[in-house]
Amino acid sequence: MSMLPARRRAALLVALVAAWVAGSALGATQPAGRASAAPLFQLEPAHAEYVPVLDGTKPIYVLIIGSDARPDQAVESQRADSIHILSINPAEHRAAIVGIPRDAYVEIPGVGQNKINTALFYGGPDLVVQTVEQLTDLKMDYWAMTGFASFEQMVDDVDGLVVDVPFAMNDEASRAFFDPGVQRLDGDNALAFARNRHDLPAGDFGRSENQGRLMVAALAQLKKEFNKDPARMLIWAASFVRNGTTTLALDEVLDLAFTGTAINANKVENAVFPGGTGMVGGLSVVTLNQETLEKISKDLADDGLLKKANVPPSPNEPLLGG
Amino acid sequence: MTPNRVQRGSNKKRRVPLALLIVPVVLVAIGVAILLALRGGDGAIIGGGDEPAPPFDFIVKPAAAVPTAPDADETALSASAEEVAQEITPMIDDLYTNAYLDPSNWRHDDYEEVFTAFAPDAAATAEQSLETLTLGATAGDVFDTVDPGKSKLSYQVLFDPDGEPDTAVVSVIFRATAERKNGTYLAIVSEGEFFLGQIDGWRITAFDVTREDHETHPPSPSASTSASPSA
Repeated sequence: MSMLPARRRAALLVALVAAWVAGSALGATQPAGRASAAPLFQLEPAHAEYVPVLDGTKPIYVLIIGSDARPDQAVESQRADSIHILSINPAEHRAAIVGIPRDAYVEIPGVGQNKINTALFYGGPDLVVQTVEQLTDLKMDYWAMTGFASFEQMVDDVDGLVVDVPFAMNDEASRAFFDPGVQRLDGDNALAFARNRHDLPAGDFGRSENQGRLMVAALAQLKKEFNKDPARMLIWAASFVRNGTTTLALDEVLDLAFTGTAINANKVENAVFPGGTGMVGGLSVVTLNQETLEKISKDLADDGLLKKANVPPSPNEPLLGG
Repeated sequence: MTPNRVQRGSNKKRRVPLALLIVPVVLVAIGVAILLALRGGDGAIIGGGDEPAPPFDFIVKPAAAVPTAPDADETALSASAEEVAQEITPMIDDLYTNAYLDPSNWRHDDYEEVFTAFAPDAAATAEQSLETLTLGATAGDVFDTVDPGKSKLSYQVLFDPDGEPDTAVVSVIFRATAERKNGTYLAIVSEGEFFLGQIDGWRITAFDVTREDHETHPPSPSASTSASPSA
């Protein structure tokens, strides 16, 4: 190089720079290095999936309300026969369900002391939410509500719910006639299972637990069906939106449904706030056990989960034990 | 300052060396030629380029509408679901063509185009699943040709309560036959579901795909779907 005249050296330098620039502008001059991953030619099935489950650390609280509205009645202006807090910990893919007995005698904002189920009558789902928030100090993110007919339809839309009926039921009032064991309940039977309280030793407490049992069964079934055929999730989400009344937007329903497919239903704690029964001014009411109420609420507020130590004994224990 | 420079330039005429004009042009031309040859593009000068991807279209089954409004007009939604399917299908055709059929991709481990079909969150996982979602990084070392087989799509489209399409689930069965360099054949089978949402157009937001390849016999001449480069 040093032998070349200065002018020629300059020309060569310019030429090399020009060639390099041209090469850079058009792309690398040779293919990028190949991935070191083993090729998929071993004839072993391979699987790839991405499910957009929520994974935030903040718990999600959904108040699930079952209105006692008959088919010709508006669900919003009747009484809430079933009230459950569904608490989801997205990061841990876990959840808890806590039932509130419908006859719980509580302070209803703007109304005064009354049975919690009347909050729906006095102020719709929003007042039920306010009442539960005041009772538990938990801030509900969403609420969702069904009535008798819409609940039945929802169950029928997904071709029934597979439920492990924990004990025999024989109740004329709710038409719940079941042998114990795993069985698929259609909408009519699922509603009967959810309504039965007359042949349960703890009445409404036991019924509330059974309603939670249906929710756990639904969660397990959604996960199972999704794993078999992911498109089934659309049927579940659509049925929920079509038959339910909710503050959840469709995309939020889908987000929660995706998240639900990641939850291990076997690890969902299903509890009911315990209490005692009594009479107030001629009304048969439930007085919640304040200590347990606070313990459960604080536990849920922490991470959305319920520690086993804080789960009160099952109100159906006498039947489960037998 | 500026007027002075202009004046100097106009007064002093320099003679540009011929080498400064010719050598760069020649070197740039050589550089481009080498680049094209190494990349195997259509305009390759050295060693010839890859043949084009064989023509491929999925067979599409009638789309199903999933309404969320209790009083939905199911006839109208079915028609709308078909429109959604027609809108998405070319994207899925391209996805599988880019992932399995286009030699300029699989010969060179260049699957970048495949992942443009995915929404950002899903794309990150898809890129980590390259060996399942494409013919694979080393396919160019193993295969000579890949020919598409009978492949099907079916759609379920979820509509929001206003009757607008919200989410589509595409069920895919893709089949192809790959001839190895050693003369044996492999049946490529990709089966699964893609969820699509509207994110700057329809994009894949979730997926669940399984590859179940198996050994196969050479296709009979009459049954061959092999595409000629000119096809």
